[in-house]
Amino acid sequence: MSDVGYTTRRLSPNAKAALGVFARYGTIIGLVVMVIVFSILSPRAFPTITNFTNVLSQASLAMIIAGGLTMAVIVGELDLSVGYAASLHGVLVTGLIVQNQLPIPVAIVIVLALGALIGVVNGLIVTKLKVNSVIATLGVGTILVGLSFAYSSGVPIVSGVPETFLQLALGRWLFGIPNPIIVMALVLGGLWLLVERTAVGQEIQAVGGNPAAARLAGINVDRIKIFGFVLSGMCAALTGTLLASRLGSGTTNAADAYLLTAFAAVFLGSATLRDGEFHILGTFIGSLIIVLGFNGLNIFGAPTYSQFVFQGAILIVAVGLASLGRSLAES
Amino acid sequence: MNAMSGSMGTPAAPPFISAVAVTKSYGGAQALRGVSLSIAPGEVHGLVGANGAGKSTLIKILAGLTEPDSGEILVDGQPTAIGSPHRASDFGMSFIHQELAFVPSMTVLENIMLGLPKKTRFGMVDWPAIAREVSPIAKRVGVTAPLHATAKGLPTAENWLINITRALVRKARLIVMDEPTASLSASECQKLFAIIRDLSASGVAVLYVSHRLDEILDLCGQVTVFRDGRSVAELAGPQLTRPALVEAIVGGTVEHLPKAGNEAATGEIVLSVRGLRRLPKVREASFDLKRGEVLGIAGLVGAGRSELARLLYGADLPDAGTMLLEGRPYAPRTPAAAVRAGLGLVPEERRTEGLLLTKSVAFNVSLTNLNAILANAMLPFISSRKRTGMAEKIIRDLSIKARSPDQPVGRLSGGNQQKVVIGRWLQSAPKVLVLDEPTRGVDIGARGEIHRLIRDLAARGMAVLVISSEPDELPDLCDRALVMAEGRIVRELSDRHVTRSAIIEASYAAAAERVPA
Repeated sequence: MSDVGYTTRRLSPNAKAALGVFARYGTIIGLVVMVIVFSILSPRAFPTITNFTNVLSQASLAMIIAGGLTMAVIVGELDLSVGYAASLHGVLVTGLIVQNQLPIPVAIVIVLALGALIGVVNGLIVTKLKVNSVIATLGVGTILVGLSFAYSSGVPIVSGVPETFLQLALGRWLFGIPNPIIVMALVLGGLWLLVERTAVGQEIQAVGGNPAAARLAGINVDRIKIFGFVLSGMCAALTGTLLASRLGSGTTNAADAYLLTAFAAVFLGSATLRDGEFHILGTFIGSLIIVLGFNGLNIFGAPTYSQFVFQGAILIVAVGLASLGRSLAES
Repeated sequence: MNAMSGSMGTPAAPPFISAVAVTKSYGGAQALRGVSLSIAPGEVHGLVGANGAGKSTLIKILAGLTEPDSGEILVDGQPTAIGSPHRASDFGMSFIHQELAFVPSMTVLENIMLGLPKKTRFGMVDWPAIAREVSPIAKRVGVTAPLHATAKGLPTAENWLINITRALVRKARLIVMDEPTASLSASECQKLFAIIRDLSASGVAVLYVSHRLDEILDLCGQVTVFRDGRSVAELAGPQLTRPALVEAIVGGTVEHLPKAGNEAATGEIVLSVRGLRRLPKVREASFDLKRGEVLGIAGLVGAGRSELARLLYGADLPDAGTMLLEGRPYAPRTPAAAVRAGLGLVPEERRTEGLLLTKSVAFNVSLTNLNAILANAMLPFISSRKRTGMAEKIIRDLSIKARSPDQPVGRLSGGNQQKVVIGRWLQSAPKVLVLDEPTRGVDIGARGEIHRLIRDLAARGMAVLVISSEPDELPDLCDRALVMAEGRIVRELSDRHVTRSAIIEASYAAAAERVPA
């Protein structure tokens, strides 16, 4: 007796089937249409290998953080701390390298471990203290903002960032492909394998699908949920590090906006191919749509505010499509 | 008003509502292939049929939740498109479902009036006036909770009465009740039946949907039987007998399971329980469960059976008591620990606690057997070929009616869903399998198959514990039965002493002993 059921109730079976196809493939159709339209409107700037490589390279950071967020939502929780966490990681990794003179790999390992730790904290608050994940991760995220200011006194760490660190995001170490694309492909590929092809992945899907049934089937639900938060936290650390490398600085709110992008991508993704179910391939396609949209807006010289309008609107469309898919699957 | 038409000598009251040759399909599945049914004012009309026969689809159509593909619905003889739940309510139809919808934090009165137009005074809801109006209706129905009490924590029986009150406040002419007695005790059932008869006498029709044929025979003047989306029989008067109903539901004769001998149950003790307690529901439980036996746990609703099962399974922790599993101390702190130790559970609520409805049959059966479907024991990856193979074998062995292992389990009928839950434990072969109400809401045919399956598992050496609130079920199934009352095991019945009458007698005798005079 859901509200959506109410609106779709009068549809004929054919219309419903058509709507089902739209809900599943709408995002992909949208992506293709967007590429075609932009290519026609801007044949020189848009449909070029260089532009696509640039777009994908920029998109990679959002895709990594969105991939992590996907793991949190698959286990049935929300992680609102990812953007703030990524900002903190960016500040911290630059600080460790510039101020503490730590070797770059050591600094990266430290922030990855911190990302995992933040995930554990989020997970424990949600599973053991039974705090709603929206509140828990919002609280943790806000604390992270505070830590980030405390560490950097709010002053961006700009000078003295070594060239090698900058090369992390700007370099093309393999076959001339930008490094962020390689990292993104490894992360999303790994997460996809984990969810779709491993035994733990089955448990992850079960916990997100029906925690009560998963628990009675003998799955340790709390542990799986914490694991989801840990992956989310580590992906945030990776994105924060790559962003700091690309910007050449550690800035306290540099990555905050990734939160919204990641959410829009994850929900768009859940409406892709599957009926409102979160999955990694969907998140990849969702991110691509958002980033190509931004790119198109840039190429046509749309004012900056239009990006906010675009992103807000697409988040609503994404969640709408996802719940449409879900209600069609259940009817 | 039917009383009036009756006194005027009309041979039969014109139907309040009829459905004529209604069809409905979902995707490729034909849920209704042509059903007809008509209900006269004040009639108690039974609707029976196996799971998947189309009862719920017809109810959804009457409730305005979905529309028929073809056929007609007539209200007072007028062809009508019901269209929305709101309109269904305007037509005087009220629906009480198995899962009762309530806002627990609101009061009984607020729940009764939820969504109904309310009397106001100076623009504000005039609760005292509404209470004065509702109170006599609630009293007539037998609501014992005060109208100003919060609805939270009220017993299911009370919720039913509140829902009936709500229907009467709306001036319902037809109340559709879906499995009303599924979670009521025997005395609560009797109370409900009295109310239904009273409703009927005052001209309110009741469509009574149930698997419990005794109740149908007891209450209903007319019964429609659905099978495979068709209305196959309309029984009334002398034709309305138990064998006739069963034959119509099954479409043939029912296989009677010969009671298995007791020889398998002489195995060694697998699970030994001593002094298990978790107040207030479980006060003292001690028993032994042997390899190869089916042990039943009977008792009235609220006797503490499901709560005992939760203790065995680590879903709750006991206040006191000890357990030994194959002679070793066993004190599971989580269901995961219980599964590792060698227990399996088929929970009471299969849709909410047993299955992931949108996931495939293969996904659901493999959930407890992930190690068996690894592509390589050294790596964490699963083989979808092995998973499909496992699911196909279980589908075959249990004759589950599924199109393929990839079909979402939510699309199967109740009996087949239950077989999927049981099937997942077939592969992992736990030492002890606990089944809580294994055939609730399952049709007669599937029930026989599930019983045979349970006997098979025991014959293979599993120790099986079956909890059931249907006294009919355990005699067919069990080697031994324990009767629980008020949190204690009050009687042990073995072998041929496990009978319906012995179970009922023990349940009530024990309960009666403890009630202060």
